[in-house]
Amino acid sequence: MLLSIEPDGSVPIYQQIRDRIVEAIATGEAPVGSGLPATRQLAVDLGINFHTVNKGYDLLRQEGLLRIGRKAGAVVQRDATSGPPGPGWEEDWASRLRTMLAEATAQGLTAEAIIGHCQDIVAGFMPVTCGGPAAGEAS
Amino acid sequence: MTAAVLAGDSVVLMFGVFMCVGPLATRPSLQFGVRLPPGYTGARVIRRERRTYRWRSILIGIGALAALIALGGHTSRWPSRLVLVIEVAADLGCFWWAHQKIAKVKSAEGWFAGRRQTVVADTSWRSEPEAFPTRWLLPAIAVIVATVVVGVLRYPHLPAYLTRDDHRVQTSLASAFAVVVGQLYVTGLWTGLLVLVYRARPDLDTADPAASLRSYRKALEAFGRAGLVLLACLDASVLLFALRLWQVLHLSGSTNLLVALPVVAGLVGFLVTVVSAGRARAARTLAGVRAADRDDDRYWKGGIVYVNVDDPAVLVGARVTFGWTVNLGNPIAWLLVVGFLAIPVGLVVVRLATGA
Repeated sequence: MLLSIEPDGSVPIYQQIRDRIVEAIATGEAPVGSGLPATRQLAVDLGINFHTVNKGYDLLRQEGLLRIGRKAGAVVQRDATSGPPGPGWEEDWASRLRTMLAEATAQGLTAEAIIGHCQDIVAGFMPVTCGGPAAGEAS
Repeated sequence: MTAAVLAGDSVVLMFGVFMCVGPLATRPSLQFGVRLPPGYTGARVIRRERRTYRWRSILIGIGALAALIALGGHTSRWPSRLVLVIEVAADLGCFWWAHQKIAKVKSAEGWFAGRRQTVVADTSWRSEPEAFPTRWLLPAIAVIVATVVVGVLRYPHLPAYLTRDDHRVQTSLASAFAVVVGQLYVTGLWTGLLVLVYRARPDLDTADPAASLRSYRKALEAFGRAGLVLLACLDASVLLFALRLWQVLHLSGSTNLLVALPVVAGLVGFLVTVVSAGRARAARTLAGVRAADRDDDRYWKGGIVYVNVDDPAVLVGARVTFGWTVNLGNPIAWLLVVGFLAIPVGLVVVRLATGA
């Protein structure tokens, strides 16, 4: 898995780490059970403070995407094959999506262009195999 | 000429040749220690400074060779050491000059302005690390074992005094086996450093990280093997020195130079490997790339010394040819440097204090 970040960008680095790992899980690059590098190793490889990596991993743990054990380290806990999301998650996500789509509309992108972008992006992700109705609606 | 003088003269020549080709064999995105964005790797100032540096370094190499020839026939180690110091200073001065010229134009024209600057890590480097070439350590160990065996067999038959260089020392376990301690020290230190190098972070191009990691693995493999061959050659030179000290080999006149041959050959092989690894990584192009590496020049003093207190890495990829350097912003790196220098400096101090 390639983790690319912009250290001097406007998005906090821990958020960028979290985002890149979520994308890797969605594309199938980091499937359930795959291990992520130890925080200190990833910090060295990116040339950043290890507390920053810890913060990114902790976000993923809170979202239920990562399990962090003492011996096994950070392991991916769920992906597209793990079934529908937990209760309330979809509403929260839809409200964030609304803001993203509103940005595109406010900047003058047509509905067709927005849907086209969404389709292209989702086409690059791993197919949902046992997503159930909730995941079906999302895609 | 003695073996030590031959070794010293060879180092002067090798360093001269290395500085002619080494700094030019770096990745397109790093020229004379300056980070460049795609599209500027062939800028006029870079072409000009590469040309100028090439001629200057060739002239310095020729000058050093001429100085050695003029000093020919000397038996002291000091002339070649002095020439080496002047040569190193001149070559580094030329490197620094080119660095300053490019950095000035880069800053004035804002080459990185408005660009996305990224850092990339490939997690496969940690999940499938490059294995340390342990088998290539066996020749060095075999040479040390051979030295110990010969030493043990020879010790009862040694005379009361041993002749080392131009002075005599009383035969004792310490004076007879100091060479083995030297072999063990160098072998342990160099192997430890190589192990650290194998765990260091790979220096990846954002342009094509996967291909960059593949070329890094190849270069690291070649570097590791050449490093361990150099170690075996160094131990072999010490073995030859020991055989002469223990009067197993009777060398006189020019045959004395045999002692330096293994280490000189090992050094030539090692430097050729380093430069070819640098050239292989430099051969990659950055055509059609938009994302740039992070402009981290502010952490590189003169394009050579790395000081970044926010970076937890101890060893980082050097900006010249293919190799590594320490992050002087990390206290552990200082411990490493002090540990590396402590014993040689300590030995010199003891020698000066006791007058031995």
